[in-house]
Amino acid sequence: MTLERVESEITGNVWKIEVKPGDKVEAEDVIMILESMKMEIPVEAPCAGTIKEILVSEEDAVDEDQVLATIES
Amino acid sequence: MKAAVLREANIPMEIEEVQISKPGPREVLVRPIAAGVCHSDLHFMDGSYPYMLPTILGHESAGVVEQVGSDVTYVKKGDHVITCLSAFCGHCNKCLTGHLSLCNSPEVSRKAEEAPRIAQGSDTIHQFLNLSSFAELMLIHEHALVKVREDMPMDRAALIGCSTTTGVGAVFHTAKVEPGSTVAVIGCGGVGLAAINGAALAGAARIIAVDMVDSKLELAKSVGATDIVNASSGNAVGEVIEMTQGGCDYTFEAIGLKATAEQSFQMLCPGGVATIIGMIPPGTMVELQGVDFLSEKKIQGSNMGSNRFRVDMPRFVDFYLDGKLHLDQMISKHIKLNEINEALTALKSGQEARHIIMFD
Repeated sequence: MTLERVESEITGNVWKIEVKPGDKVEAEDVIMILESMKMEIPVEAPCAGTIKEILVSEEDAVDEDQVLATIES
Repeated sequence: MKAAVLREANIPMEIEEVQISKPGPREVLVRPIAAGVCHSDLHFMDGSYPYMLPTILGHESAGVVEQVGSDVTYVKKGDHVITCLSAFCGHCNKCLTGHLSLCNSPEVSRKAEEAPRIAQGSDTIHQFLNLSSFAELMLIHEHALVKVREDMPMDRAALIGCSTTTGVGAVFHTAKVEPGSTVAVIGCGGVGLAAINGAALAGAARIIAVDMVDSKLELAKSVGATDIVNASSGNAVGEVIEMTQGGCDYTFEAIGLKATAEQSFQMLCPGGVATIIGMIPPGTMVELQGVDFLSEKKIQGSNMGSNRFRVDMPRFVDFYLDGKLHLDQMISKHIKLNEINEALTALKSGQEARHIIMFD
């Protein structure tokens, strides 16, 4: 079992979190939606697994490369 | 209402029946009369920029106010408006220091726990850039529109909603082009042509249009280019440097490619400024010769022409009606909403300027 990090590719704000710890996800499932320069940008699961941690909250500001969540795969 | 819904990147949009919410306190329901099909829509259609799906693209439109929310005093039913994706909150650091186009406040959108502005049954349709103009109605924040004169033709007004503001604004606000200077514009689509027109309005002495399509270079001459370079020869940088005897004071990249962004920097004279307007896809790196910074060459981005659209757009309307802003030749075809996929295909070919959707 490995722990995968879900990172933000952009600077923006967390608009909506779609999953919670313990949820099972498939690769490319939307984990959360970021808002940056008026764009709604999906953050997708890089692999199938179980959400271990969500490290941000809705309305939080996030930076490029910031770890947003972890997945046990 | 009917709308062109994008459900998957690179899959043609279908015209579907969707529901639009009632205006909240600070929202305005707009009936678009005209909507431009912009190259930026193509970036999201082909997936080079990620976006939540399903969505309704379209972000360059003009229309008539249909209904206003309880707290809206700026517009009333029947007002003619241009919409703009640079919705501003009006009280963040960016807004209060005059950089309204960089406002990143989420409050111009609905909150995650609120009902979405657009839906299909119980499913959310994600609003595109707080606008979604490829639809018969738009529900937007009151700070995403500006009132305009009623004698302004709606199809021309729609162009001001994005391409004109982006191109002219990059020249006026981002680069602040000086009268008598030399300018090169790479890419003669709607935004590039607007930048050329803007450079002419700003008093640039020499304006060099660079493109690979002869018909677009001819269009460029009609809006103010003094010289043209067909880049298919493969040496656009060398030609521009030779024409200007050492490079330009200002260059503008209006395509969104690594290669042309780098060329825009290479075309500068010492002290010159390159402004990148085009949307370079995420993950793409731009490489420059570090030694060029010794000659004070600069490179910068421009988002929506660094606009203050409530001030800028009515001025651009006046410029058009005074014959100073050339919008007529920007429109290659008027189409119906159900021809949207063909319009995007034509845009991708790079052969045409702009299609405008006209709503009944």
